[in-house]
Amino acid sequence: MTTSQRGMLVVAAVVWIAAIGCGFTFLMKYSVEPGTPASAPEVWPRESQVPAPRGHYLLVMTLHPQCPCSRASVAELNNLMALLRNDNVKGEVLVVKPAEFPDEWTRTESVKSAERIPGMDVRLDVDGVESGRLGAATSGQVLLYSPDGRLLFAGGITPDRGHLGDSPGRQRILSLVKTGTADAKDSLVFGCSLGAKICPPRPKPAGL
Amino acid sequence: MEDVSGATLVADVDRAETLYREQVDARRVSADRMFAVLMIAQWVFAIVLAILVSPYAWAGKTREFHPHLFAAIFMGAGIAVLPVLLSVYLPGRTVTRHVIVASQMLWSALFIHLTGGRIETHFHVFGSLAFVAFYLDWPVLMTATVVVALDHLVRGLVYPESVYGITNPEWWRFLEHAGWVAFEDVVLVWLCLIGLREMKSIAFRQAEVESLKEREEAKSAALEMVLRELQPSLVEGAQA
Repeated sequence: MTTSQRGMLVVAAVVWIAAIGCGFTFLMKYSVEPGTPASAPEVWPRESQVPAPRGHYLLVMTLHPQCPCSRASVAELNNLMALLRNDNVKGEVLVVKPAEFPDEWTRTESVKSAERIPGMDVRLDVDGVESGRLGAATSGQVLLYSPDGRLLFAGGITPDRGHLGDSPGRQRILSLVKTGTADAKDSLVFGCSLGAKICPPRPKPAGL
Repeated sequence: MEDVSGATLVADVDRAETLYREQVDARRVSADRMFAVLMIAQWVFAIVLAILVSPYAWAGKTREFHPHLFAAIFMGAGIAVLPVLLSVYLPGRTVTRHVIVASQMLWSALFIHLTGGRIETHFHVFGSLAFVAFYLDWPVLMTATVVVALDHLVRGLVYPESVYGITNPEWWRFLEHAGWVAFEDVVLVWLCLIGLREMKSIAFRQAEVESLKEREEAKSAALEMVLRELQPSLVEGAQA
């Protein structure tokens, strides 16, 4: 191999390594980029069609049925509900569907998995009206309301976008239900935008 | 009568060495070609996987192609392009082998990331090491191990979920993974050394056979010449 060939090879290798490094950096950034946090009402909204919490905790998740990242959120919801099986917690999953889309559009694996979670009610949320009332803007958003209807927690329950595993959100919900306290009342949420109209607009909560 | 001169033995050893080098080179060129095909197959697989698992990212009613699909197409192409070019233009070279092996380990890293650090995807690393052993060149196993360890170390520090699937692994977790890779390396390095020894032994036997054949042909030729020289006198004797 001549010196010039060797030089070309070194340049090619450096460019190759730099390009791959950039690619991995892009992927990592995408994975840790959170969605819009919820601006959830501090007390359960009276106008909601979802039954209000009465003497039990209410855990609500908003779900975009086609969001691939939310499969992990549903799997984590399943784990969370299993851990809270004996803690007087009811679950609701709001599946957001634009009115003009057919119901079949919502028959995805995420929704079917949510329906299989014990103690979980799954309901269609046409045009995201209910999600909007609850201030949720991102698929995978979880809200925890106390038995007397006060907001205890708003955030996501995956460590990042589309990844399973323990997360600050899961730990905080468990702590709030089991001990009544937690180090924070929110967490980052990862998922697709719901496209729901937030009604009424509320200020964003403080970040972590 | 048998020719056992020093000159012949040296010739046999040289011939054996030549045969050995030819066989090893052919093996490595063939492994380069195998990896070139594997690189393209993995690229296609990554794209198909992205299409099947997460083709779109959604925002309300609108959808767009998922970043993982772009990653499969462009990062996959990026990872595969240099090793494929080297396997075509510089097959059998040491640098080609090391680039191919590093690239194969980067495929493992990409698959592990795209599957959210699923522990099952880590088996791609071990399968790849077995493929790498086809080269019968233990230093490339070291390259593979260093790339895997570095990938796990860097991503474990910067973004652990993408490699371990959990948020708070111990800082030394990469050593645990690298340790299992080293465990397989021990077996594969041993396999490489045995493989090379067997190839050398085969080359020596082939050189011996060639040498014996040459000697037998020389003896036959000499015998035939003697018979030809003797033939007239034998005919005369028979007539008398």
